[in-house]
Amino acid sequence: MTTLFINEEEVTVAAGTSILEACRQSNVDVPYFCYHPELSVAANCRMCLVNVEGWPKPPASCCTPVSEGMKVSTESEALVKDREMAMEYLLIHHPLDCPVCDQGGECKLQDYAMEHGSGKGRYLEEKRIIKDKQLGPFVTTSMTRCIHCTRCVRFADEIAGTGDMGVLNRGDHMEISSVVDECLSSELSGNLPDICPVGALLDGPSHDVSRPWEMTRHQSTCTQCPQGCDISIESRGQDVMRIQPIEGSPEPWLCDRGRFVYDAFRNESRLLKPISKQEKVSWNDAINDSIALLKDKRIGIICSPDWSVEGLSAIRLLRDTAFKNAPVAFDLHRRDKRSFAFEEGFSQTTQQIEDADQVVILGSDLRQRLPLVMQRIRKRVLADKPVVRIGSMRYRTNSELQKDMLIRPRDWVSVIASAIEQVMALGKQAAGMQAWLDATQDRHEAGKVLADALLAETCSLLVGEEIRCHNDAAALIHGLDLLMRGCGHAEANNDGRNLIPEGMNAQALTALFAKDRMSVSDIFEDANQGKLDAILLIGSDPIGDGLFPVQAREALKKVALIQIGAIQGEISDQASVLLPASAYSEVEGTFINMEGRVRTAHHPLEVLGDQRPLWKIMMRLLQALGQDIPAVSLEELRIHMHRFIPELTKVDDKQQDAIFLSSARNRKSILPTQITLRTLDVVSRYSMYREGMWARSSELLRGAGERQKLADVIMHPDTLAAQAGSIATLDTDHGQYQFKIDVRDDISPGVLFISKRGIAGDISNVVSVDINGGSA
Amino acid sequence: MSDVQFSPQRLDEILTLVKRYPKAQSAILPVLHMAMEDFGHLSIPTQQLVADTLGVRLMMVREVVTFYTMYREKPCGRNLLEVCTNAGCMLNGADELLAKLCEKLKIQPGETTDDDMFSVIEVECLGACGGAPIVQINGDYHENVTEHHLDDVIAKGRTHDPI
Ligand code: SF4
Ligand code: SF4
Ligand code: FES
Ligand code: FES
Repeated sequence: MTTLFINEEEVTVAAGTSILEACRQSNVDVPYFCYHPELSVAANCRMCLVNVEGWPKPPASCCTPVSEGMKVSTESEALVKDREMAMEYLLIHHPLDCPVCDQGGECKLQDYAMEHGSGKGRYLEEKRIIKDKQLGPFVTTSMTRCIHCTRCVRFADEIAGTGDMGVLNRGDHMEISSVVDECLSSELSGNLPDICPVGALLDGPSHDVSRPWEMTRHQSTCTQCPQGCDISIESRGQDVMRIQPIEGSPEPWLCDRGRFVYDAFRNESRLLKPISKQEKVSWNDAINDSIALLKDKRIGIICSPDWSVEGLSAIRLLRDTAFKNAPVAFDLHRRDKRSFAFEEGFSQTTQQIEDADQVVILGSDLRQRLPLVMQRIRKRVLADKPVVRIGSMRYRTNSELQKDMLIRPRDWVSVIASAIEQVMALGKQAAGMQAWLDATQDRHEAGKVLADALLAETCSLLVGEEIRCHNDAAALIHGLDLLMRGCGHAEANNDGRNLIPEGMNAQALTALFAKDRMSVSDIFEDANQGKLDAILLIGSDPIGDGLFPVQAREALKKVALIQIGAIQGEISDQASVLLPASAYSEVEGTFINMEGRVRTAHHPLEVLGDQRPLWKIMMRLLQALGQDIPAVSLEELRIHMHRFIPELTKVDDKQQDAIFLSSARNRKSILPTQITLRTLDVVSRYSMYREGMWARSSELLRGAGERQKLADVIMHPDTLAAQAGSIATLDTDHGQYQFKIDVRDDISPGVLFISKRGIAGDISNVVSVDINGGSA
Repeated sequence: MSDVQFSPQRLDEILTLVKRYPKAQSAILPVLHMAMEDFGHLSIPTQQLVADTLGVRLMMVREVVTFYTMYREKPCGRNLLEVCTNAGCMLNGADELLAKLCEKLKIQPGETTDDDMFSVIEVECLGACGGAPIVQINGDYHENVTEHHLDDVIAKGRTHDPI
């Protein structure tokens, strides 16, 4: 620690802190442009000058570290002059655009020109004009406004990792540019306008439509992925203008999926009126029609994980009161309903993952699934900390991984078995290891990578969808748990078991429904076999998403569908009754992210139609079913919620980041089972721009998704001598399919990599296929 | 990968050169000169080739290429005339000289004649102010250049004689 004096106040900061950071930490205002706490220091704007006693010239505070006893002053006559000159210089080519600039009202340049500028420019010569650019789907520019702080260049290099922005030319001709026009292929591109201190980089979708001071801000939680970022939804009147990050949140950035999904909040796919038999009806009629289909019937409940915990608790109340034995599924991908040794959710914070000695990514397209965790991974890699990965594809990352092993999903057992064997050979034991090993035969070389990583003092396992959705997931995860145990990663103090969940609120869902959990395919199967009369679908779209669209379609031929949701999906055509619920942006409520971090949204967005909060709909249904209503207010409902999930009582707003809900554990031994498979394993992929009803309804995201599109069916060139463009006939347990094949060598041989939608959607539920000849 | 490729000899040369520096990226300047020698100018595919050869990002190469005026991104004519218009040369009539030259060739600074014989560009101080005005022609310094001398140059250039 270093003690220094800022404007005669004594402050103590960590050694090596810059003067600017020390000032920021002690709430002393120093103007700056190019400095950004998440980026490297460039020190090129010269706005942050301060005086240091005994120093002949004022240093730039952003790049000058503090030293013991240093006496800093941030105000002096000389500094007034210096800042005025820096401003004059920065404004030389700057146009007088404030009245038409999106940044106006939240612009550093504008603020500082008021505060530190001279009010008059002396530059009378020709001003230069720079051509505007389009940087990816979301960022437009007005480059003449650029002050060359290079924050955006550093962002592209250091954060996005695309490195496609730079400084061209020199001196007076200097300009910020991308490699080619139309660049910046980052899933974090929406952050660029935020980091640009002036109005040079602009948020494309909200360009030229509103001013910052007209906005009403609604603090909320993004539910577009399990990360659950803090967001501020900005609206003007009834329109949603944009989504912004909240300063001081755990993650400094937002991804493009969460940021640009907002156009779906207000578009025509929203469900705003109750619908029965394809007609808009009153709430009363809709409820009556639903009751006719539900009362005394055998129902299956499928819900999406993204409702507030209050909403989910209300679903539980409905089930407990009126449909005692109804099966519940809350995930459209998981095949294995047995409970896992460590259930969905993280045992570590993203910061702990960044700091761990080792990180192992198992079967996950992390960059698309959890872009901000990928960002942490990237920070590790830049700091030379190891990250290894095993999976069926070398999913695109923005950092070089130390080891990257390709395997087929069927190899997971042999990978884990070989890791267990190696760990045991080192004398590291956990009860149950031998039994697990005895149930397996093969060994896979990738096991060494896993075993080596686990030997580190602290190790983060990031277990992804390839394992979570595996047929034998419970056995695999039990194997991983044994490995962690054997290697001394005790749950009490050195846990690193992170199972990436499907969506938000994983810990709450396990607490609420784990006992009654089914795979959504079981529910469809039951419906098909006449064991159910109706399906109550609360918020997801099993036809548009997930692995089981075929079963869903089959089942809906036999049973009635009552859908409650905020937005319509592909399945909605089949619903007998559709009840409109408020979206995540429109509710007061609690949300839990994958880390177990709890957030409460207080100021929801205005509701435009007749939609109601989910919990009220649940209560209304209960009333109509002739039951007592367990809760008539959010407060009463929260009493039930606290009964279901006692940890939540401890949470209040003031200590939001102090309490983390842990994921459920199961110590039962689950051994791998041998099953016969066809020759190729099927892996279905995830696209952050197309997955989920919200993303598909968002035109902004759809546009961006088009650019990243891959072919529907992809194989490695060595897989049965696959040729690009050839048509292959695939035999599955459900019949034959023909597809055009594309080849890529970043996929494991022996794997058929398919998109869940489009032509290959029909085989997404299939685990393995035989390929039956191919013709050119 | 781009279609442009270095010859095997060139690649050897580059590899020897790279070994002299602590990092491959330090060799950007000389490798760009070699590329310009080989391909005449530094098109984006050529810059990509340099980037790939040295294992750096294209943007870094772009930054270097555009920083220095002596790297040419566009193809130029058979004869390159670089007219200095900095202070010393300006005082000795460089601006008029440039205007005359352009008039004779019917092009603007930065352009190439239709027959691809001549390109004219305006450059900063060539460090030979003693002989101002200076025109660098195909790499050679021509000092105290007059309109008459330019006529000579143009005539020789047109007949494919060395200037
Ligand atoms: S575009 Fe914005 S962030 Fe980039 S250098 Fe210019 S002012 Fe800075
Ligand atoms: S990372 Fe996830 S939670 Fe955060 S903004 Fe993106 S989609 Fe939303
Ligand atoms: S913030 Fe210090 S020089 Fe820009
Ligand atoms: S001014 Fe022309 S050579 Fe120096």
